[in-house]
Amino acid sequence: MGSIVTVDGIKKSYKKRKSKEEFVAVKGVSFEVGKGEIVGLLGPNGAGKTTTIKTICGLLVPDEGSVTINGFDSVKDRNKALGHISAVLEGNRNLYWRLNVLENMEYFAGNRGVPKKEIKTQVNKLLNLFQLQDKKYELVNNLSRGMQQKLAICVAMLADTDVILLDEPTLGLDVETGYEVRELLRTIARDQGKTVIISTHDMPVVQDLCQRTIIINDGKVIANERVDQLLRLFETSAYQVNLKEELTAEQREILELKFPIHRWEGLKLEVSFEQEQDIYELMEIFKKNQTPIETINRTEINFEQVFRKLVKEEVAS
Amino acid sequence: MTSFWNVLRVNTKMEFLELVRYKANTISLLLTFYIIFIAMMFGIQVIGDPAQAGTNTQFVIVNYIFWYFAMMVLQSIGWTISDEAMKGTLEQLFMSPVSPWKIFLSRMFGMIFNHFVLVIFLLFVSMATAGQWLNLNPFAIIPILLLTLASMIGVSFVIAGMALIFKQISAFLQILQFIIAGLTFVPLSVAPFMVAAPFVKGVDMTRQVMINGYTLADFTMVDYAWLIGNSIVYGIIGVGIYLACEKYAMKKGLLGHY
Repeated sequence: MGSIVTVDGIKKSYKKRKSKEEFVAVKGVSFEVGKGEIVGLLGPNGAGKTTTIKTICGLLVPDEGSVTINGFDSVKDRNKALGHISAVLEGNRNLYWRLNVLENMEYFAGNRGVPKKEIKTQVNKLLNLFQLQDKKYELVNNLSRGMQQKLAICVAMLADTDVILLDEPTLGLDVETGYEVRELLRTIARDQGKTVIISTHDMPVVQDLCQRTIIINDGKVIANERVDQLLRLFETSAYQVNLKEELTAEQREILELKFPIHRWEGLKLEVSFEQEQDIYELMEIFKKNQTPIETINRTEINFEQVFRKLVKEEVAS
Repeated sequence: MTSFWNVLRVNTKMEFLELVRYKANTISLLLTFYIIFIAMMFGIQVIGDPAQAGTNTQFVIVNYIFWYFAMMVLQSIGWTISDEAMKGTLEQLFMSPVSPWKIFLSRMFGMIFNHFVLVIFLLFVSMATAGQWLNLNPFAIIPILLLTLASMIGVSFVIAGMALIFKQISAFLQILQFIIAGLTFVPLSVAPFMVAAPFVKGVDMTRQVMINGYTLADFTMVDYAWLIGNSIVYGIIGVGIYLACEKYAMKKGLLGHY
């Protein structure tokens, strides 16, 4: 699969407003996205994700490094690069609320230089796909949040670009609409061969939709793996132990030392092992005070846990 | 060219829709300007020379129409940028493969086209109210007006550049109204040094056409040199400053609210 988006060693620093101190937001981020791929771009707040997104979208010039979209440099060949990417950066805020659905679509497409005739054909096709045909003349202001979100994606689709970047596409949506949006994105990638880059904090969306994930933390890429591979990598070593009694301070101290990645919830302990044999060490800790164990299960790890672990490990290192 | 035509088409429609959707705002704008005109007209009748009452009123009408028009043009992109940054749509405009300055230029053309209709309406209402009919010679007015517009658009781009960096420029836009009033109301015969100021020469020449019945042949080569020079210099400098501001904003990450 040839790459359509190439982010090559981008660095960006800002000066803090008050202290004038230099703050490095992105410290050499590099990755590639292939044609037709659905990729999740993740990272905790302040990780450098927004700076990376802005640079990909040609809204920010990096201090070092480059971004190319379909071979066009996002700074030197800005307009050509932008001809291959569209984005929904602020969801429903990317729309004109005083215009109706049709007017919004016509305005944004026209602004990209799309001729009137072409807009008409595309609009009808997309309104059907997004099930917004009967809302064509409705003011955006009167639409539900979910419909506004769908319209924002629809507007981005109208540009008919190879790459679509979506920032938090399911934020604030109810379960049903969130699912609908997810299915739409899947359809777009599968049937129309579009490359979809999703930036989100909604981990089930990543697990369900993305083939690959790029995790950014502290301005660096800390993981760039297929989602299923990451899940496999972590699933073998995660266990959930339900205890009948609390551990003693001494036991907790040893636990902290030997298994820094763990989580408590009442008497429920979730712990990750580097290797399968570590389970015997854990048993040793319980054995020390004859702590009664109710159940012990290998956990079905989800992507949220993988993400937290990766970020936590990165911070610890 | 086809792309620019499409951009121009949708932006003209957008400006029209804004006027229609914000009907109350459009009506109150026209009413406010009409009330200002009435105040100006009575003001000049009270303090002006009674022997020159007719000419003075005509002077007020031309200045007032230009004041309205210059305000709309000069504030146009600055206000658009500030407003779109707040709404969250600015980044979308900057993500178009058509350069943003071309989008803003077409938005301004759209605004000029729509507001020109309002200006004509205001002009006739004010002439009817004052009972003073100006010489509306389109063959003389349109060429001068187009060149004057180039100068106004240049200044508008400077304000747009500022809006891109500072976003909140509403206080400045309010002060700008008085600066524009100074530029449109003071005749060159009183302050000849203002000939180098943006669009002043154009306003002065239009005044000569509308009040004194000048035709294009009545102006000297020096008049044209100032008019054309003014338009080219301010037009180019304006767009240049805007592009520099855009570059700075992209370097510093100041685009939009995002």
